[in-house]
Amino acid sequence: MALKGIDVFKLSPKLNCRECGFSTCMAFCMKVAQGDMSLEKCPYFSADAVEKLQRQAMPPMATVKAGPHSLGGETVLYRHEKTLVHKNLFAVAVCTRVPREKAEEKLRKLQSIDYTRIGERMQVECVFVRSHGGDEARFAELAGQAAAAGRCVILHCREASCAAAALEAVGSSAVLDAATPDNWEEMNDLARKYGVPLGVWAPDIQQLYETVRNLEQKGNKDLLLDVTLDTAAKTLRNAVLVRRAALKGGDRTFGYPSIVNIAELAHGDIRLQTAYAAMFIQRYGSVLVMQDMDYAQALPLYGLRQNIFTDPQKPMKVESAIYPLNGADENSPCAITVDFALTYFLVRGELERSNEKVNLIICDAAGMSVLTAWAAGKLSAESVKKTLENLAVERKIRSRILIIPGKVAVMRRQIQQALPGWTVVAGPGEAVQLPQYMKEKAYLTAAHAAAQETAAAQKEQSGEYTFQELLERLPPIHHEDLGVHYRGRAPGSRAFTVIGERIHCISPVIRRAMDERDPGPILKRAAEQIAAGATYLDVNIGPAASDGPERMMWAVKLLQENFDSVPLVLDTANQKAIEAGIRVYDRTHGKPVVNSADAGSRRCFLDLAAANDAVCIALCSADGIARDVGERMKFCHELLERGLHLGMASDDLWFDPLFLVVKGMQDKQADVLETLRLLSQEGLKSTGGVSNVSNGAPRAVRPVMDSAMMAMAMMQGMTCAIVNPCDSRMMETIRSCDVILNRVVYSDSYLEL
Amino acid sequence: MAYIPEGAPCAGRIRTVTFGTGEGAITLGGQNAMPLYGFDASFANPPRAGIAVTDLPPENLPELTRFYEGCETMAQRAVRARERSGADFLCLCFPGADPGGANRSVEACTADAVAAAAAVDVPLAVVGCGNLQKDELLLTAIAEALKGRNLLLFAARSENYQRIAALARDFGHKIVAQTADDVNLAKQLNIMLKGVGVSYDSIVMNVGTAAVGYGYDYVASTYDRIRLAALEQSDEDLQMPIAAPIYADVWSVKEAVAEEADEPQWGSREERGICMEAATAAADLTAGADAVILSHPASVQTVRRFIRELMEGGAD
Ligand code: SF4
Repeated sequence: MALKGIDVFKLSPKLNCRECGFSTCMAFCMKVAQGDMSLEKCPYFSADAVEKLQRQAMPPMATVKAGPHSLGGETVLYRHEKTLVHKNLFAVAVCTRVPREKAEEKLRKLQSIDYTRIGERMQVECVFVRSHGGDEARFAELAGQAAAAGRCVILHCREASCAAAALEAVGSSAVLDAATPDNWEEMNDLARKYGVPLGVWAPDIQQLYETVRNLEQKGNKDLLLDVTLDTAAKTLRNAVLVRRAALKGGDRTFGYPSIVNIAELAHGDIRLQTAYAAMFIQRYGSVLVMQDMDYAQALPLYGLRQNIFTDPQKPMKVESAIYPLNGADENSPCAITVDFALTYFLVRGELERSNEKVNLIICDAAGMSVLTAWAAGKLSAESVKKTLENLAVERKIRSRILIIPGKVAVMRRQIQQALPGWTVVAGPGEAVQLPQYMKEKAYLTAAHAAAQETAAAQKEQSGEYTFQELLERLPPIHHEDLGVHYRGRAPGSRAFTVIGERIHCISPVIRRAMDERDPGPILKRAAEQIAAGATYLDVNIGPAASDGPERMMWAVKLLQENFDSVPLVLDTANQKAIEAGIRVYDRTHGKPVVNSADAGSRRCFLDLAAANDAVCIALCSADGIARDVGERMKFCHELLERGLHLGMASDDLWFDPLFLVVKGMQDKQADVLETLRLLSQEGLKSTGGVSNVSNGAPRAVRPVMDSAMMAMAMMQGMTCAIVNPCDSRMMETIRSCDVILNRVVYSDSYLEL
Repeated sequence: MAYIPEGAPCAGRIRTVTFGTGEGAITLGGQNAMPLYGFDASFANPPRAGIAVTDLPPENLPELTRFYEGCETMAQRAVRARERSGADFLCLCFPGADPGGANRSVEACTADAVAAAAAVDVPLAVVGCGNLQKDELLLTAIAEALKGRNLLLFAARSENYQRIAALARDFGHKIVAQTADDVNLAKQLNIMLKGVGVSYDSIVMNVGTAAVGYGYDYVASTYDRIRLAALEQSDEDLQMPIAAPIYADVWSVKEAVAEEADEPQWGSREERGICMEAATAAADLTAGADAVILSHPASVQTVRRFIRELMEGGAD
């Protein structure tokens, strides 16, 4: 947990004696909190204060090893606040009281739970060996058998002699449970001797606290808290209070993972045990001890655990693979969709319901849903082709029918072109329509039509063109005087840079105009944006897999020739298109801007910008949204380093923290603003699509929220934004902020440019 | 240095909403602590477990077919569920009304509802077939026919809330504002309902359901965020009790319905379904549901025991 300057100051000697080299204690403490100064530079902090501050600077909850598994280390109470880092473990209890054969049977049975669910291996990770009646030899024997089953062994006993015997048998991969107010000294000695974590139990929470304190004072911080009491309600209370004290109260004495012995609470009612486990997965059980584990319990509980412990910012992904459904074989048709777990489950469920043989192929799409993946270029003709190659589909499957999601029917042709020999058809728009679609074999009719069309297209298609050929193929550029002139940017101007976002393929009007090379709508939007004060125009031609280069060249020439060489931001996931666009680009008003690179699979766009002496918009992310401010800055620094290494000037990298939508990510807005502040502090340029913040909000709300965000972002030092210049409230806000920040000299009519 | 327990009530409180009539009426909500945290503030009204009773005999679910053996009508199934499951309330569901399925008429369904309501004396909830237009007609007809029974109607969505609001206003029922894993929309729908004259004492929320393992991460976080806003920040537009009709989600996932012949390792199909339902219900109750609606009488019993243990097992 980071220290706050004010907390350090509260504990400081407050002498203002200047021995530390600072004029006041306050100034010194602020530096300490920022990590720029060591506490030792002041000779007057009390030992108590130093210890307190050191404790505060430590993470609020220890990470403890149970065999090969890690537990604890949590920083938040609820998963949406950040992420939960270590999933809970399951243990099955075996007791020395039960007959030998039964115990062995149980050990065998728990090993039968072993399966994979969305990339995670599901097992009973631990065996909870319980000593009953102090039979040391039997306890040691049982512990040994449990260890031989390859599971982490938790030794549950109160007698040190028993513990010693069992530890001798299993060694250091165990957990010892539990030290109590009566036996903690002996148990502590044993835990230290064998180097195992020690569970702590007490009949009430006060005594639990005191016992932990005692152990910590003996130097043992490798602890777990056995919070089990005689009822589920009291155990829940214990589990919650302990975790809350650590994470909210900042009390590290309770900052350890927990053990919850559900077997003791459910009294043999397996269904009740399942319900209790579902509760403790969510509310702070780290090791859940079960009387028994069979598939009926494991399937829901492991599924729940997987859901609760996923990172809320990284969607669950299934493995890219071929899943034959309903007994499909090599002659069954293929259907492809993305690897987002929810999509997969939905599509698979519906396909299974159809009872038709089909090979479901999962494409690597960074765990995004179909439309998001398409928009981000993760689901493209290229990625589909790559998936088929990686999975060796052509070798394994003879059928050459590929059904793509109906939501991306627009890509069908591109995919068709990328997959000679295949017949690509678009499936239904919604998964629920799949059973009917499959039963009626609607794909066959579609395949027939598609095959005919492909044959016709092949005649026309003539492979790749050279740059010169492309240039010659361009339709003549239409010139028209719309009465709007780009005036250029005053040299040395400190005014905010506005990139106009309205020439974007997400708009049906623009998409059609691009497809048909119809200059009208594009010129109209360009004129409006320039008139409203745009500094750059963004030109988004969409994923444009096939004719990207030609499209981009046409758009660049059209806009620059009509509007006084207006500078442009070239925006597409097609690298060749960007290169082609740059080759025809007129640099009268400076370098072209490449939109965009990131620290993940779009890294190559940075290389491309560097090679072509262009500015590059660099997303502080790697295929997704960064977790927090730290991760954003990490990606920023990675990209900065790479850019500098490639010979770029730091000013030619414009960092985008990625603005997030308020609806759904309200709690992450502060991270975005903080990132902007840090970028500005480091002297770096920044940009971003500010209006994303209000995505999905009512029309009347959007401009209000956008301009508020804009003002806050400018306050944090943002230097450029991708916005709609025709939003007058937005432009007025920007101009007002420019004035207030003293970047533009005030005049009564400053709003009118 | 001693630990001082920090059990303390929250600043906000969940509103109470009552449905049903007479002595058996059920009041949901009232808690001023996070769900099941009886140590922060003593419990107000316990969460409740209801059982779903369908208009058509349960299909493809042999375990339920056995339970309802000998029942010919919805009313008879309602009586059987009432007598043998121990559920706190019944939820009349009309999958048979689905235009994409049996497409039963509004009149026939309403007659079933009236007969079932006459046969049992417990509070009733009503769920349609999932088709927005049909449900609007159906719920309106049932609301009118059962005026005075103070039903809990699973009805309002952002697409139809204006028309559904009338059911609360004109016939005195309680309505459930339904959204799917979206805190912002949940709040907005409540505000819109208030705007068309529905009192906040007549609204229960269904903020989205899923079987555990199937996108339950979204459900859990939606619940957490809504309950934190209602309790810690006293956001009055989110302080309604929550009802979770989970039976449909649970009884369609593979874990609950795969045949034993197809998944021999997994063991008893019935037991899988019950555990899936019990785990999902317990997860919802932990996250903040004030009522859950289940299909299997055995999971109803488990969930009721779970609730009882947590309500009563806290005393030292
Ligand atoms: S040396 Fe310590 S006491 Fe003196 S001014 Fe610095 S911080 Fe304050």
